[in-house]
Amino acid sequence: MIKEIKPTVFVVDDDTAVRDSLRMLLKSVGLPVEVFESGQEFLDADRDDRPGCLVLDIRMPGMSGLELQVKLNERHSILPIIFITGHGDVPMAVEAMQAGAVDFIQKPFRDQDLLDRINQALEKDAGSRRMLAERNMIRKRLESLTPREKEVLDLVVAGKANKVIAGDLNLSQRTVEIHRARVMEKMEAHSLAHLVRMVLEVERTEE
Amino acid sequence: MHEERPPTAARHASPGTAPRRSNQSELEFRALLDAAVDAIIVIDHKGRIEQFSLSAERIFGYTTAEVIGQNVDVLMPEPYRAEHDAYMQRYQHTGEARIIGVGREVQARRKDGSVFPCELAVGKVQGVEPPRFIGFIHDITPRKLADERLRRSESELRLAQELANLGNYVVHLDQSEPAYYSPQLCRILGIEAVAEALPLTTQLERWVHPGDREKVDEALSELDSPGNAFDCEYRIVLEDGTTRYLHHIAQVTRDAQGNRLKHIGTIHDVSDRRATEDEARQLQERLTHFSRLSTMGEMAAGLAHEINQPLTAIATYAQACQRFMRSPDRDDADVLEALVQINAQALRAGEVIRRLRNFVKNREVKREPVDCNRLLDDLRTLAETDARLHNVRLRIDAEPSLPTVYADPIQLQQVVLNLVRNAIDAMADAPETGREVLLSTRQLPEGEIEIIVADHGSGLAPEAAEHLFNPFFTTKSAGTGLGLAISRSIVRAHGGRLWHTPNEGTGARFHFTLPASPVTLASKGE
Repeated sequence: MIKEIKPTVFVVDDDTAVRDSLRMLLKSVGLPVEVFESGQEFLDADRDDRPGCLVLDIRMPGMSGLELQVKLNERHSILPIIFITGHGDVPMAVEAMQAGAVDFIQKPFRDQDLLDRINQALEKDAGSRRMLAERNMIRKRLESLTPREKEVLDLVVAGKANKVIAGDLNLSQRTVEIHRARVMEKMEAHSLAHLVRMVLEVERTEE
Repeated sequence: MHEERPPTAARHASPGTAPRRSNQSELEFRALLDAAVDAIIVIDHKGRIEQFSLSAERIFGYTTAEVIGQNVDVLMPEPYRAEHDAYMQRYQHTGEARIIGVGREVQARRKDGSVFPCELAVGKVQGVEPPRFIGFIHDITPRKLADERLRRSESELRLAQELANLGNYVVHLDQSEPAYYSPQLCRILGIEAVAEALPLTTQLERWVHPGDREKVDEALSELDSPGNAFDCEYRIVLEDGTTRYLHHIAQVTRDAQGNRLKHIGTIHDVSDRRATEDEARQLQERLTHFSRLSTMGEMAAGLAHEINQPLTAIATYAQACQRFMRSPDRDDADVLEALVQINAQALRAGEVIRRLRNFVKNREVKREPVDCNRLLDDLRTLAETDARLHNVRLRIDAEPSLPTVYADPIQLQQVVLNLVRNAIDAMADAPETGREVLLSTRQLPEGEIEIIVADHGSGLAPEAAEHLFNPFFTTKSAGTGLGLAISRSIVRAHGGRLWHTPNEGTGARFHFTLPASPVTLASKGE
């Protein structure tokens, strides 16, 4: 299960000293950390589906931070990225933010600023992962419905009363009530509102 | 040589005018006449020629028969001729003989009309009446010619010395003769004359520029060993404070026993040339320095980044340290490691600044043996600064154990850095993963060292390639257009060449060569 893995801070920076000092800072606050000296090394290590966040140097020879970001997006990674930038890198930082980075921080930085951003990123990651897990769960529950139950669900979510649904599907009102109860049970819905929210959540992401 | 002549007696003056004399003394007199080197002419009181010696025939080109009985003034050009007539008339009126005496320098005239200088001595033959005069004529044409030649060569030498600003001197070390100092020498030294009591070298030594004293002393010691010459260019500061550059060449001659006889030398005032050279060199140096500064200006962002890296690491290590220290279960090894790194990173930042300062410092050009591989290694920090900023990878492929070159290391770094910067700029539009600059060194079969800077940019357009080395030609918006022009002049000043070829695949390669210095440093393991 994904939730069992502790979130890790991944650091990609080609400068040995900067990389190592970040490793040590994160160690000093008790955060698990893994460091990489290039974007390619990080990609090869297949860490992008792990919980955590990525602290990424925007300027690197060969594959730059921005290029790595593009590659990770292509791999549908949800790992939040905090870019480390130098002076005068604002245009690049803007580009990075537009491509979905959570934040950027200029060198040299105050440790607390970086740690705050890392914590926010980890929270965001945890949230995204929770949401993803929930969506997967809802999908599984939807898949467990019979075609008739699915028809009833769609009409319930559309806001139709049992009597109307019975008419639409040419069923007895009693039968509709039984299907509806089964749907609520299979979907583990506490209320009609909860059921609607779950279905909408899945539909929205499938658009 | 004399041509064959009839017997002397046959050429006697006519009996009517000849004095009565015994035959023997007549013959003796004639023999004397003919043996003399100088022309001997006897005239009577009216100036008519009575006797004409063999040497007179030779000198004047007349035969005796042609001149006997003629007035002696046929042998004289004007105005001597008129003067002579006046003398003779005065003599006839007053009985006073004017020109009698020795060593008057006059002009005489040959039969062919040509005039020549001669010394004339005239004596009056005593005890005969009417009186006769005997003239001795010494042709001084050769002496005059020699005098003239000497005077001309002296004045030519003087003029040549003036034009060349060259003076010479001869000092007789055995005091056998007074020393000679040419006028131009005195003029160069700004003095009326060299005091004879003081040997020139002693005087010069007082004036030698303190900065050149060591050089002069060293060169002077050469004079102590036989066969060696003193050859030295140095500055002197004259009494009036002006500085002159002299090229001084001197030699001491010795006798068979090795005793020093004469100190001979020339002093060439090369101040004008040196001043021009100095000015040109200073201009070139200022331009070169300016170009280095502008290169650094263009690299400012990269340099800021390069110094920011260690500063970031230091700050982060220090912050980690503080957290470790506050933690109840801290591990001292972590703290120690962070401190070690802080130290190293502070030195790294200092090193960047040191290299930067070295590079932009305005300094004298100084050549020394340079290991090109070591030079590239030293340059790496600065070059990578720029490379990182543009996401370019810098690779060095050095051939090991290269001979050293004799060069100014900072100027060479300037050339390489300029080529690297151009290479980086050339790849601005290239895909990021392909951006690489390869710096390589190798030794050519002819012994030269070649340094190549290769990029994977778009290569050189033909119209750009044509003007590449022209000053102020640039394809960059912020370039000075001086980089390549100055790089080429630096390489040429080092006896090398700078050119470019297309790179394999895409891009350009810039090559330059430097002659290997004779002394090769043993390669040092890094």
